[in-house]
Amino acid sequence: MQKAIACFENVTRRFGDLIAVNDANLEIFPGEVTAILGENGAGKSTLMKLLYGVHLPSSGRILINGEPSAITGPADAMINGVGMVFQNFSLLSALTVRDNLLLAWPKTPYWVSENNKGTKEVLANLTRLAPHINPHSKVSNLSVGEQQLVELCKVLNISARIVILDEPTSVLTPAESRRLHGFIRQLADEGVSVVLITHKLADVEACADRIAVMRKGQIVDVSPRGQKSMSEIVTLMMGSDVKREISPPALPKKRVEKLFLNKICATAPGMSLKDISLSIAAGEVVGLAGVAGNGQALLAEVLAGIHPATSGDVALDGISLIRRNQMETLATPLGYIPELPRKNAVVENMTLAKNLNLRALASGKADVNNEVQDLLTRFHVNPPEIDRYASTLSGGNLQKLVSARELGRPRAAILACYPTMGLDISAIQMIYREIFAQAEAGAAVLWISEDLDDLIAGSHRIAIIRDGQLVAVKDNDGKLNRDTLGAMMTGLKPERKVA
Amino acid sequence: MSAELLTLLGAWSIATLRSATPLIFTTLGETLTQRTGIINLGIEGEMLAGACVGFAVGVATGNPWLGLLAGALAGVALSCLHAALVLGANANQIGSGLAVWMIALGTTSYFGRALVGNQVTPLPDLGSQLTDGLPFLGSFFGQMTMSVPLAIAAVAFAAWWLAHTRTGIQWQAVGESARISSENGIRPKVVRLKAILLGGLLSGFGGAILSVDYTQTWAQDMTKGRGLISVGLVIVARWKPVLVLPICIIFGLAEVAVLRMQTAGWSISPHLLATTPYLVVLLILIISHAAARRDTDMPADLRRVFA
Repeated sequence: MQKAIACFENVTRRFGDLIAVNDANLEIFPGEVTAILGENGAGKSTLMKLLYGVHLPSSGRILINGEPSAITGPADAMINGVGMVFQNFSLLSALTVRDNLLLAWPKTPYWVSENNKGTKEVLANLTRLAPHINPHSKVSNLSVGEQQLVELCKVLNISARIVILDEPTSVLTPAESRRLHGFIRQLADEGVSVVLITHKLADVEACADRIAVMRKGQIVDVSPRGQKSMSEIVTLMMGSDVKREISPPALPKKRVEKLFLNKICATAPGMSLKDISLSIAAGEVVGLAGVAGNGQALLAEVLAGIHPATSGDVALDGISLIRRNQMETLATPLGYIPELPRKNAVVENMTLAKNLNLRALASGKADVNNEVQDLLTRFHVNPPEIDRYASTLSGGNLQKLVSARELGRPRAAILACYPTMGLDISAIQMIYREIFAQAEAGAAVLWISEDLDDLIAGSHRIAIIRDGQLVAVKDNDGKLNRDTLGAMMTGLKPERKVA
Repeated sequence: MSAELLTLLGAWSIATLRSATPLIFTTLGETLTQRTGIINLGIEGEMLAGACVGFAVGVATGNPWLGLLAGALAGVALSCLHAALVLGANANQIGSGLAVWMIALGTTSYFGRALVGNQVTPLPDLGSQLTDGLPFLGSFFGQMTMSVPLAIAAVAFAAWWLAHTRTGIQWQAVGESARISSENGIRPKVVRLKAILLGGLLSGFGGAILSVDYTQTWAQDMTKGRGLISVGLVIVARWKPVLVLPICIIFGLAEVAVLRMQTAGWSISPHLLATTPYLVVLLILIISHAAARRDTDMPADLRRVFA
């Protein structure tokens, strides 16, 4: 048996009362891809941040090459050949690509100039991996996929023996994900240990050698790939036999148009919508797919009456919802779950009860009542205390709070932007159940998501947005799949699988 | 005719440069500090301390260079307080800066009373036998001291250093995001400590130049808000060291113009007239914002202070 390059021995990490990692034991071997699989909040990232030195273990120890790890910070980790690509990247968007690479390189010479050898060397991996990226352009000008390549270059530059990737495919298109999977295999073949933190089974299937499953801070299982079936692994991940089965309610027999988008045009800094037309019937769920930043957020704000449209109209049951100028005040009749709920949907220094009754407060009717308590319980907001301030809730619970407000009462139409962001599987099920219940009761639903599998499983029709335009609206007749949608999202032909 | 014009131009440019020199040092120091995401309103106090200690040491030793050195060290000492409050105790940066300023104002007023009316040996002028005979350059160099070329060199070096050295890039990184910097193996607190101390050094030095070199006197609260002006000029210079020089010179020019207008006997109130430099700077700020079209070039982590 090969010797482990890194080894966790009874490692525990606490943050106050919270035990993020509980008595973890794990070995990482050279030349292998170890997938750490688990739900959001299972402790996957924290476990690996312990190895990278972002956090230190509260108890237990980590061995590197059989020796107790002397890593007390990321700087030490890099010197010891441990590199990590974070989920939200460690790039400074105001700096150039070259400067970002120089920052993360222990061998950066003091004087940086175009001519000295050290500065040229730092760009060598970039030229090899991504020759199309100009090292002098600012990182803010790169696409997400390009930014990830720069991150990978940083890790390659330190000749890392252990490469940790935190949810690397969450921001990529299907084609970019496949390229990354191939790259991960290539690294492993060169003898590097790759640790892949993910909650996507597709990543695991594509490139993992060993699969460690985490649940609630504990490593519940470590097994070589192929030893367990995917459904066994999912069961381990979730602890109970919850299946992620979602299906929308049947369409009503008679089609009654409910929400009508007519040639909407709108502009915002860096984005404009062109002639968006779509009609959603009562009881219909329409999914909106697209790569992030193609106009979804602007469209949602126009529909919700937050951002004015330059032309076109949105009508719900024949009544216009659109904002004509900035001075108008109108409360949207839609059940609207915006993206980034902490920023866009709650007043953090108000109680949960007031947040659930924002519309009533705005219209001067302060009817804070016991319905609120039921809503918190029904939507699993934890802790369900009506007098608690919204600022004290975690991201997932805040998302549930907003869902409770928007989905907890009957609505004529629902506009949901990434409604399951940051939620665990049972909460996701609950949100979908509530959305579909609204549809069954006759609401028109527009559902913006990046999770193509869920969109395919849960929508009657799928619209694809690209560059602020609807490029296609497809009936979800069982023929749609990730590849066809991905191709439409990016405007490319579906790529053939590379062996 | 042209010789007269030349002399006039020479006199104005000398006056402008000399008036701008203390500001150039403090603004440069504050720019570098702010580039790491720390705002230090205490530079007003650090400048005062530098002016007071620098003058005292200059008077006591008879050596203006020792005075400048002591002034710079006084600035460093005072900036340690800001660093301890902000980095050590996580105090509010604005509050901490104001505290440093007030402490310096009180102590320099108290200990500075003994200095009023004293004479300090000035820095030698740059005139030499080579230039003395020349019609224009003679008086130009004759009225200039080493502080002016030093200020210009400091700006040039700092601008180049920030963009072209490992440490410079690290400073920029910390100003953009302390969290991301630390993920990249930089220790943001160490960087910020160095930046605050360097800001203190340059502010103290600028203050000492004001008392030892430019005015050659000490008066209570003699900086009269120049340190706070520097904080404003940092914004006008868009956090770019290279722009510190022209911006400070424009401000200095406006100041000189005010003095000349007063001596020329303009019938406007001197108090109103004294607002001219600030109006000029405000105008530049408006123009540069309108031209840049983006909100600012402010280091991202600095926004945190105002959030």
